[in-house]
Amino acid sequence: MSAVIEFKDFSFRYRQQQEFTLHDINLTIHKGEKVLILGPSGSGKTTLGNCINGLVPFSFNGEIKGSCKVFGMETKEESIFKISEHVGTVQQDADAQFVGLSVGEDIAFSLENDMVPRDIMLEKVDQTATVVGMENHLLSVPYNISGGQKQKVALAGILHNDVEILLFDEPLAALDPAMGMNAVDLIDKVYREQEKTVIIIEHRLEDVLYRHVDRIILINEGRIIRDTTPNELLRSDTLKANGIREPLYISALKNAGVEFNETDELDSIDDLKIERFKDQIVSDFRKVELKPVHRSDEKILEVKNVSFNYSDGFPALKNISFDLYKGEKISVVGSNGAGKSTLAKLLCGIIRPKEGEVIFHGENYLKYSIKELGTHIGYVMQNPNQMLVKDMIRDEIELALKLNHFSEQDIASRVESTLKMTGLYNMRNWPVSALSYGQRKRVTIASILALQPEVIILDEPTAGQDYLRYTEIMNFIEELNEKYNITILFVTHDMHLAIEYTDRAIVFHDGEMIGDDVVYKILSNDEIIKKASLKKTSLVTLAQKAGIDPEQYIHYFIEKEKEERKQ
Amino acid sequence: MNNKLFITLTPGKTFIDRLTGKTKVRLFILMIFILTATWDLRVIAPFFVLSIVMLISIKPDVKRNVAIIVFVLLMNLFNFFLTWIVRPDYGLTMVGASTVLFRFTDFFVVTAETLWYFLVRLVKFMASFLISLTFIQSITPSELAAGLHSIKVPYKICTIVSLAFRYIPDIHRDFNNIQISMQTRGMELDSRKAGLLTRMKQYVLILVPLIITSFDRIGNIANGMDLRGYGKKKDRTYYCEHDDVKGDKILRPLVWIFLLLLIGLWVLKIVYKPPFEVWAPWIK
Repeated sequence: MSAVIEFKDFSFRYRQQQEFTLHDINLTIHKGEKVLILGPSGSGKTTLGNCINGLVPFSFNGEIKGSCKVFGMETKEESIFKISEHVGTVQQDADAQFVGLSVGEDIAFSLENDMVPRDIMLEKVDQTATVVGMENHLLSVPYNISGGQKQKVALAGILHNDVEILLFDEPLAALDPAMGMNAVDLIDKVYREQEKTVIIIEHRLEDVLYRHVDRIILINEGRIIRDTTPNELLRSDTLKANGIREPLYISALKNAGVEFNETDELDSIDDLKIERFKDQIVSDFRKVELKPVHRSDEKILEVKNVSFNYSDGFPALKNISFDLYKGEKISVVGSNGAGKSTLAKLLCGIIRPKEGEVIFHGENYLKYSIKELGTHIGYVMQNPNQMLVKDMIRDEIELALKLNHFSEQDIASRVESTLKMTGLYNMRNWPVSALSYGQRKRVTIASILALQPEVIILDEPTAGQDYLRYTEIMNFIEELNEKYNITILFVTHDMHLAIEYTDRAIVFHDGEMIGDDVVYKILSNDEIIKKASLKKTSLVTLAQKAGIDPEQYIHYFIEKEKEERKQ
Repeated sequence: MNNKLFITLTPGKTFIDRLTGKTKVRLFILMIFILTATWDLRVIAPFFVLSIVMLISIKPDVKRNVAIIVFVLLMNLFNFFLTWIVRPDYGLTMVGASTVLFRFTDFFVVTAETLWYFLVRLVKFMASFLISLTFIQSITPSELAAGLHSIKVPYKICTIVSLAFRYIPDIHRDFNNIQISMQTRGMELDSRKAGLLTRMKQYVLILVPLIITSFDRIGNIANGMDLRGYGKKKDRTYYCEHDDVKGDKILRPLVWIFLLLLIGLWVLKIVYKPPFEVWAPWIK
């Protein structure tokens, strides 16, 4: 097999930065391989990808040491256009890279730039649209298609010109679990049918391993840590140490005390040979007694038979009823467009029910304005950059208090206590721009906490976060819940989050509530999982293989993980 | 997505909708130029009739269109009234005579020429406006880009035009989200409860994150375009610019006629230098 990509003693430093982002990379990728570049956020994995597709040094200038050859071309001496004839890239932000005003037009973008005559262009667009299954949507506009579909379009757009390498930069970042599975499946299909070399950059290991990969390159702090097969990597303990979440079934097996050996095939739960581990799993398993959930009996919010539709008549919520208790941790799950965000807006009072009512502390909440509700029910957006408006951390936290006309004294004392609660006290005079993503998230939560709300709604708090940051953010929120008895409501499609950090889940599908129960019951209910585009967790499969009741097994797993986390 | 703007994203089915971007852009530009070049009702009137026919032919959303047309009409009438208050005898400068029809005082007179001038101005303006309305509602941003490119506008400029339209709805959505989060933090944007100045200041606060997120996005867009070879060649082709349909062939002579008319109007203006811009039937 011939080498298509060759890094030799390669290092790279961005012009604006002091430190090198990549150090001494030695890596060879052969024709026809399917490789996963795995690493936590900020590890340099995206930079490595940008070195392969030519964005470094074309768009990101800096200092390069050593050599990076793509098809024998030294990338620093070639133009990005020359490289893009061989390497097709699907970027992380499927929405931003959708530059066309229709699906067909976006697929045609590179052909347009190549001055391909229109009649040939139409034919090629049809061809590649068919490969990704978008041939019936050529006239659709970007605003009416899902994130998964946008990604398919992006893939179709690079399949022209017979590119040999397909590079996917965090393809799962913006997708709900079912869409993510479809994406991994599609990548695999294209890999097999079109005989390309495929490179996937991701940190969500378990989701990528839904289809076979040949090799995993684990990278952290700009260096290659491991370059090995999936099986060997899963056996080792390097994943957690490098901020990568292990597949849940691997964690479960390790928790049960299983020792792996070199012949174990671990990379797919479906192909896992359970016989060798079965006894150990069963003997380790014990039934967890149902504990009363950490919450009081005081109802904060009662949602009663609420329906809502937007002005275009599309029903977004259909006859929803549930109660929210003080001190609860609850997740609202479902696919994109199922009504989760509408519910969040409803609870904040931004939209009001068309039918039914919302009771807040025993009174109809229609009497409160958005502003008044905001002091009781806080809303934290997914992207912290969309919330931060001030230069300084302290100013940011003060803002809501000032807007609500608190007295100077109150402001000073509340800001101080909030800073302490959130561990930001030492950074209080830092500029917001100096903060990392996780810290910014913390500041946005702090800015809401200053109002001392009883409920905080968090929209996808961990979207696009690697395991390390994810744990940091979630542990912080859990602490707020436990120490200060704040009710937390997560809007999410991350099942890991739901499993580990919430007691109860409400499931939405097409504006209807199709489930409201403790998390492990929801997750072991096949019907709900399917309807809500969730992913069956590998724990269910593992339990079924070992002959244990999945519901109880998940419960056991959650408790064990929680205990471990506490230590 | 509820489209609050007048932008069309999917091509429609009517005669005008089906034309190529090339024909639409050419006709639009020529008609607007002609209407700006002349104050002669004999030229303007047919275009006014044509503009009404065109607008009706694309079967637009009646409610929305009527609302905006009425609004523009009222603004125009109000404007005339203001002009009249300041210069009741404005017709003299524009048309070249002063035939008093009615006299309020010595200063406030109604002359036939001023009325005539207002009439011409109204017809002229409404014709341009209706043509623009038709144009906006029958062309997709990509067709616009392709059409501009066909009249030798550099393609990078055309791309800026179509990209702007592509991302306006996205920015609008971001704006809404940020606004919502600020409202829950206690920002009062209700006009009954907060004064104009306070609200203005608060909207500035919303702009900060909006600009930052938009810049992030611009970086991603630019990379996505580079990676797909944007700017590789001196020129580019357009996926949306379909072959000429029957309508384009029928209208091709019209494009030439309009062009000749425009040149004719310019030449006349230069050669004859009429002392008064507005033609009126009773003035020799």
